[in-house]
Amino acid sequence: MVEPIFDYQFRLILIGDSTVGKSSLLKYFTDGKFAEVSDPTVGVDFFARLIEVKDGTRIKLQLWDTAGQERFRSITKSYYRNSVGALLVYDICNRTSFDNIPLWMSEAKRHIEPHRPVFCLVGCKLDLVNNGGKREVSKEEAKAFADQHSLFHVETSAKNGLNVEEAFRCVTQEVFNRIQSGEYKVEDGWDGIKTGFSRPSGLNFNLVEAEPAKLSCC
Amino acid sequence: MFRSRSWFGGGWGRPKNLHSLEHLKYLYNVLSRNQTVSEHNRSLLVESLRSIAEILIWGDQNDSSVFDFFLEKNMLSFFLRIMRQRSGGSSFVCVQLLQTLNILFENIRNETSLYYLLSNNHVNSIIVHKFDFSDEEVMAYYISFLKTLSLKLNAHTIHFFYNEHTNDFPLYTEAIKFFNHPESMVRIAVRTLTLNVYKVEDTSMLAFIRDRTAAPYFSNIVWFIGKHIQELDTCVRNDADHQSQNRLSDLVAEHLDHLHYLNDILCLNITDLNHVLTDHLLHKLLIPLYIYSLSSNRRRMSNNDLVAQSLSKVSLTPKTSQNSSPKMHDVTNGKVSCVVALFLLSQVFLILSHSPLVQTLAWIILKTDKTVFENGVDKLHDFFEYEKQRERQSSEEEASGSVSSEKDKDSSCSKENLLYEQANINITDEEKQRLVDPMEGMGSVKNHPFLETVYEALDCTENDYAALFGLSLLYAMSSNRGVTSDITEQVLRPKKSFISKSSTTSKDVKYTYNTFLVEKMLQIIIFSCQPSCRVRLVTLELALKLFIQLTVCDGKTVLSESHRHTIETARVQSMALLRNFYKSEEIFLDMFEHEYCDMLKGSLNVEWLCMDSAILLPPTGTPMTGIDFTKRLPCGEVERARRAIRVYFLVRNLVLTLNGEVETQLPLTNPQSCVQIDQALDLNNSDLIACTVVYKDGTKMRRFLVIDILQLILVEPDTKRLGWGVSKLVGFLQDIEVAGDKDDSRCLHITIHRPISGASTNRVPLLNAKFVFDDNIRCMAAKQRLTKGRIKARQKKMQHIARLLEIPGQSGPPSPAFAGQGGPYTRSSVRPTRVENRALFNINRGPGFAAPRRDSSPGVIHRADESIRRHRDGESPSRGANLKIENGRRDARSRDNSSSRVRSREGSPRMPRPRSEEIPLELIKKAPHSIIDMAPKITIIPRPQTPRVISSETEPSTSNEHPKEVIKTEISVSEETSFIAEENGEDDENL
Ligand SMILES: Nc1nc2c(ncn2[C@@H]2O[C@H](COP(=O)(O)OP(=O)(O)OP(=O)(O)O)[C@@H](O)[C@H]2O)c(=O)[nH]1
Ligand SMILES: [Mg+2]
Repeated sequence: MVEPIFDYQFRLILIGDSTVGKSSLLKYFTDGKFAEVSDPTVGVDFFARLIEVKDGTRIKLQLWDTAGQERFRSITKSYYRNSVGALLVYDICNRTSFDNIPLWMSEAKRHIEPHRPVFCLVGCKLDLVNNGGKREVSKEEAKAFADQHSLFHVETSAKNGLNVEEAFRCVTQEVFNRIQSGEYKVEDGWDGIKTGFSRPSGLNFNLVEAEPAKLSCC
Repeated sequence: MFRSRSWFGGGWGRPKNLHSLEHLKYLYNVLSRNQTVSEHNRSLLVESLRSIAEILIWGDQNDSSVFDFFLEKNMLSFFLRIMRQRSGGSSFVCVQLLQTLNILFENIRNETSLYYLLSNNHVNSIIVHKFDFSDEEVMAYYISFLKTLSLKLNAHTIHFFYNEHTNDFPLYTEAIKFFNHPESMVRIAVRTLTLNVYKVEDTSMLAFIRDRTAAPYFSNIVWFIGKHIQELDTCVRNDADHQSQNRLSDLVAEHLDHLHYLNDILCLNITDLNHVLTDHLLHKLLIPLYIYSLSSNRRRMSNNDLVAQSLSKVSLTPKTSQNSSPKMHDVTNGKVSCVVALFLLSQVFLILSHSPLVQTLAWIILKTDKTVFENGVDKLHDFFEYEKQRERQSSEEEASGSVSSEKDKDSSCSKENLLYEQANINITDEEKQRLVDPMEGMGSVKNHPFLETVYEALDCTENDYAALFGLSLLYAMSSNRGVTSDITEQVLRPKKSFISKSSTTSKDVKYTYNTFLVEKMLQIIIFSCQPSCRVRLVTLELALKLFIQLTVCDGKTVLSESHRHTIETARVQSMALLRNFYKSEEIFLDMFEHEYCDMLKGSLNVEWLCMDSAILLPPTGTPMTGIDFTKRLPCGEVERARRAIRVYFLVRNLVLTLNGEVETQLPLTNPQSCVQIDQALDLNNSDLIACTVVYKDGTKMRRFLVIDILQLILVEPDTKRLGWGVSKLVGFLQDIEVAGDKDDSRCLHITIHRPISGASTNRVPLLNAKFVFDDNIRCMAAKQRLTKGRIKARQKKMQHIARLLEIPGQSGPPSPAFAGQGGPYTRSSVRPTRVENRALFNINRGPGFAAPRRDSSPGVIHRADESIRRHRDGESPSRGANLKIENGRRDARSRDNSSSRVRSREGSPRMPRPRSEEIPLELIKKAPHSIIDMAPKITIIPRPQTPRVISSETEPSTSNEHPKEVIKTEISVSEETSFIAEENGEDDENL
């Protein structure tokens, strides 16, 4: 068995109220499938996928799915710290889930500190709106909120896969850009970003890449 | 923990480093190639599973990429898949799987890893998986896996296990299915698990426990405890011969386990849970079985019996276990013997302290009266509730100022509240009246059927079998933290009331106590002081403890004159009892001191006592049962003496406590008056014998031998002050053995045994060495002094005991005579014992014991010089430093001459007369409070030294002819009279 070759590994976390569709989004993103029936997540779940950013750099995404239920709030907290990016997930047809987004965001910011994560506001179940369901969160309102807080924004459907790839891709690209710009660096004891292994030249390249960033901080 | 399967089974492509990501990848390959368990791969799988746990734990602490790999490959799902397969000897694999999971959960420290493992109900599906529990190993690993999980429970993780939406809590519900598993390790794990669950502060989870599981779980526990004690009872009934002590002790231990477990739950203070548990315990176990068994006495009316029986039958059969339970009722009618009930109730009160529970129980035992009792068991508790209610009401009424007309005397007095003293006068008088008259007291007892049974148990006329349990129950109730004073007051503790004299406004404090019970205690105490009585020491000690609780209030004794008088009688009788055993044998003194040390080790611990199943069997006398001396009757003369000594000490202690006094007479050796090692001593003017001490290992030391009143001291000259020495070794003269050396007349073999002490059980002698003297004369002198010192030391102690026991002949020469043991001459010189001597102990009797002493035999008198002065006193050497040590040597030499003469008479049938009197025994100045009066300052007047050897034997040893004033003198004289002095002339130099 051959291990997939990648240059970086990013850890992302998905947060948002229960039933908004986090698990479904991840299932589609990693498996390309959708299930009508999806049990609420108990605690956390883990997914992984390889993705390429624009310059062809291979990124392995480690994706932590969390339970939206209140009773697991204290459990899911532990997963923020090692994340470099967070998908703030709401249900387009559920107003409350959008109203809670600021809470989720501040919770994430607080726990990811001192790191500044990349956020993407993800509206789910777009297919329902297209099939005559009642939209409770307008695209404009969500966009305005996203702009105000400098977040990416996408509306997706895990059922037909619309924009699912896009939601993850924008976060990944942004994290990579921030590495390039030197804002993010690989740190010991933090699993948000790790360098990959397995490709000898890439390994060297990465080390060279990472060095200046480290020096600048010291 | 790990099965001993080889780590190094070989295999292709396996990485060398076992703790590495590479190895985990290798193992992942193994698992993915062997997804179906079969005969062929199961060993490989087992080994892989075990290795995976190892690597994950290693990675948890060293390399996060290890766990990442485990996550990415979703390796947990392999585990579940393996578990669900039924083929290929799956229990073999399952055991390893459970073990691997157990190790993982026990050791993973990384929070996110742990939560991941707990997530998504994987663990719950393992918990509910139908393992083959008939396989012992599967059972053991399964339950310890559950227990490990329970240790991870907290307010956060509880949600992985308890789902409030589905009201599902498999960890708990699956575990309690095994609460009565035959394997005790399983039961213990279940109990630990339940406690870990209850500890979690989660309201909805606890509500689930209470609403969905508490009633069935607790009623099952209670039912099984009931079943258990039936077994225990049967075991006691059928084992009068102490044949199944082991079984009994297991059953008792089991009952203790139950109680401790219940107490652990109650101590968590979960109100709702405690409510359910208390309810079950009271109504299905403690009242119908334990308490109603107290009503099984012969004189009980039959209809009551029936009520009790039917009620206990009903309550003891839990709805859920109806099928398996009927047997026990057929056998025992739902009751246990009174003795067992008392014992178990004692345990209950000693272990449980949950107030609502013990309070109710205590109330029922102490206060239930006949009318309530006849109404049956359910009414009992109702009545208690009603009483409480009434009490509350009446105190409210009092507060509002209206005096209730039907005020109940037990419940209404507010002792502390002085405002309402008017109301209390009547009560106090009434109560006093009732208590003054013992018959009336008994009358009120008659109305309390359970208390009456307890009181009846205290009767020791035949034996003290039940009495011990009656006492322990009363003691346990009165010392239970959860039982409030308003219940124990007057019954188990003195009652304090304030009386205001009608004429004045001044108030008196009035104490009353349970006269009836106090008299019961006094009976036991008096009984214990009679020869050949059947009361065990432990019973006496417990009675004394209870007695103190019954009669001491606010730090003082509230005992009436007549009861004080009875105590005095007991004291006199305990002395008289011991006097019968006061003997000349050395063993008496040794025993006396040993028993005292033993007593000092600590007073009776009632909780420990009630853990001992041995007391459940009828009292026995034979030590061959292995039962503790205090918990059985004495066997033989020596043990009877031991017992008498103990009884004496116990009663003496009681008297001291009641009088608020401290012991000043015991132990016989006052450690304060002893010379310690490394103490500097002023040896100017004392007798010193130079010697070389040769140890068994060949080391030699030059020392000076000093013989004090009680001690032998080896000193080294003090380099700083002339004439002073530093003690290098001290030993008690009473513990020495001296023997000559047949080849070297300058040598002595001296053994100093360790003193009998409570602290150490070290029986290795303090010293066992050869002493080489400058010449045989000095050697003889030393030997004489040691031999005599030993005798004298013992005599002094015996005299002290005689004084304590108020032996009448005390003022005269002490009755028992001693002869040193072990020395060759004393042995050869034993004379026939006197007619007057009391019977000797049958054992340990041999030559060398108890040589008679003639009361008027001549002693050579010496001046008791204060030649050794303690450095401790702080005085600097006032006298000019001179050659005192040299003097000492010279003195010794001069006396050695006489010693040699004695030696030459060795073998004579007459008592040899070692001229020890010429070698004055040094008297060290003692502190004035020295326990033993050493009479150090008395100059003893020589008495006529008429050798009356034979005739004196007819003289009573305990003659009381000498007036008190001369006691000290007489004693001192007699100290010197073991041997007959012949050469009077030489004595003068010592005067
Ligand atoms: N039609 C439609 N249904 C969706 C979509 N995404 C999720 N669902 C449904 O919404 C329900 C909840 O989805 P989940 O993915 O389990 O929601 P979640 O956010 O993971 O919920 P928690 O795990 O409780 O936090 C499921 O029944 C899904 O089938 C979507 O894009 N379209
Ligand atoms: Mg989910």
